[in-house]
Amino acid sequence: MRYFLQRFSQFLIVFFLVTFGVMVLMRAGLNAPGDPARTMLGGTASQQQIDTITARYHLDSNILGQYWFWLKGMVWEGDFGYSVQQNLSVVDYMRPTILTTLFLGVYSLVWALIIAVPLAVYQAYKRDSFLDKSGNFFSFFFISVPALVFAPFIIYIFVTKLDWFPRIGEKIYPWDDLGAHFKNFFLPVVVLAVPLSAIFVRLLRADMVATLQSDFITLASAKGVPPGRTLWTHALRNSLFSLLTSVGVNLGGLVGGALIVEQYFNMKGMGFLLVSTILSKDLFVVQSLSAILVATVVLANLGIDLMYAVIDPRIRHARALS
Amino acid sequence: MSDLIQASARDLSGPLIELTDVKTHFKTARGLVRAVDGVSFTLERGKSLGIVGESGSGKTVLSRSIMGLLPPKAAVRHGSIKFEGREILGLSRSQMRGIWGSEMAMIFQDPMTSLNPVMKIGRQIAEPLRIHLNMARSDAWATAERLLTDVRIPEAARRLNQYPHELSGGMRQRVMIAIALACGPTVLFADEPTTALDVTVQAQILDLLGEQRRDRNMSLILVTHDLGVVAGHTDEIAVMYGGKLVEKAPTRSLFANMKMPYTEALLQSIPKLTDPSHTRLSVINGRPPDLVNPPVGCRFAARCLYTQQRCREEEPPLVVTPEDPEHSYACWYPVGSPAYFEAKARIPSNSTVEVL
Repeated sequence: MRYFLQRFSQFLIVFFLVTFGVMVLMRAGLNAPGDPARTMLGGTASQQQIDTITARYHLDSNILGQYWFWLKGMVWEGDFGYSVQQNLSVVDYMRPTILTTLFLGVYSLVWALIIAVPLAVYQAYKRDSFLDKSGNFFSFFFISVPALVFAPFIIYIFVTKLDWFPRIGEKIYPWDDLGAHFKNFFLPVVVLAVPLSAIFVRLLRADMVATLQSDFITLASAKGVPPGRTLWTHALRNSLFSLLTSVGVNLGGLVGGALIVEQYFNMKGMGFLLVSTILSKDLFVVQSLSAILVATVVLANLGIDLMYAVIDPRIRHARALS
Repeated sequence: MSDLIQASARDLSGPLIELTDVKTHFKTARGLVRAVDGVSFTLERGKSLGIVGESGSGKTVLSRSIMGLLPPKAAVRHGSIKFEGREILGLSRSQMRGIWGSEMAMIFQDPMTSLNPVMKIGRQIAEPLRIHLNMARSDAWATAERLLTDVRIPEAARRLNQYPHELSGGMRQRVMIAIALACGPTVLFADEPTTALDVTVQAQILDLLGEQRRDRNMSLILVTHDLGVVAGHTDEIAVMYGGKLVEKAPTRSLFANMKMPYTEALLQSIPKLTDPSHTRLSVINGRPPDLVNPPVGCRFAARCLYTQQRCREEEPPLVVTPEDPEHSYACWYPVGSPAYFEAKARIPSNSTVEVL
């Protein structure tokens, strides 16, 4: 419990530092320093509009005060602010992009794991075999190919030549049309999941190879445990640490950094929205998106931290003592 | 069905294990490592055999060769290993799996690394029971508890739900023994079972092994570098050097009448409690032979105090002593022979110290 509190306070510190930093940076880059409302509204806005926004979000107070009112509005009232340019509340503006990113991220992560785990286990089991060597080659290959190259290649083959998938990603939610939803997400998920699984395969294979040389694996053989059971029950659970860590590290990339994929497949996710609102200086949207990104990444890593303890009783034990 | 075939092929009258010219070589970048290079012996049912030798003598590889627990690709194997009259040397890992854990079991050297750290003790003991005896989960759990009681672990029921890191080294080695005993094996391989343990715990573990062996009429192959460990705990002793058997005898006969200068040197290297303190420890000078390019002649010649010209040229065969037909050794000038005394007379008495 003490351990958890410690980690949670770390989470809060990171969250505050990042969100406050984003706010300071956005203010520093304003065209008319010290007047965020005028910047957001643009040159054509009337003084009355500017005054309304300034009063509503306390934009006339100092930076700490603005931060405080913004945080308070977010947490207490669920009011993330107002996108003046879109004439929408930030929540409504962000919602579709968050959903797109959520689907993209979750599908990619799940598929990357579905591909990587069996492959890595098999490669470690048949180490130095032809299949292992080709697996190593391909994982190395896909780690090296940037999405910038991979995405257009995939589009060229499956969209332009074969015409299997739609080019323009319409926002189709699974509750509207499940088939179209999967069809729409298939290619972008491939572009995100394949390189990710390549990283996962290499990490898990390396850990599995090391685990398979431990004494307790030989003991499992000496007990007459069949190889499948040895791999999946004895070896895998002892080899998950690098993989888990990597999942946490890569989550940030999946959530905020899927920009290239979003661009190529015309899927307006959070990365897309973040860049466009930074350019148009839509302050509240930028702040809210960064807040959500930071919270997701840090909370996910906190969850992964807890997973270590689920996997390994020694970590549970050590944490209970601390 | 396959169990029936196995049972009918069993020869219960002959020796339990019969090795003929067993060789295990490993392919490495340096060349072929002759870890075990032509070993023959038999082990009777219910008997215990100690395999003694220093690091690199091939004793661990030999025990794993008999069990077939070697990395399949790197090892090149020759000779014949018969278990209950059945040839097992050529068997695949999947064929051996029926024997592993049920007929042959093994205890490893380091109990700290030999148990799965993320699996409860109870599950690790129950596993072979469920695999070989098709026990239900609850039956296997109850049997595991009884096994833990057998190996003298207090509060067995509670221990079943604990993880290895919650137990001391000695306790973990007892758990290892419980796992090995689970399916009532015919032969138990104990590879340096006490080396990683405190001296006070060593004796307890050895006594436990001996007691369980007698109770279960099980054969035991005890691999160790310590002649003192096997002295009181095995019926027979086989001394290995450089991948070969250099002396084998019933324990009493070996200690009463050791022939091989290497055995003698091993015995002398055990510090005696009666020695005054700060007595220089007796050591065997030099290093074990290179098993990629083993020397011509006797492999111990370079380190032997009594080496003659012949030792460096011709390899001594394993011969039987006139006193005891079960006692064999491989030496041209064995301990007690005239040549041995002649050579000994030429050596200054404190030579080992001088060389140091």
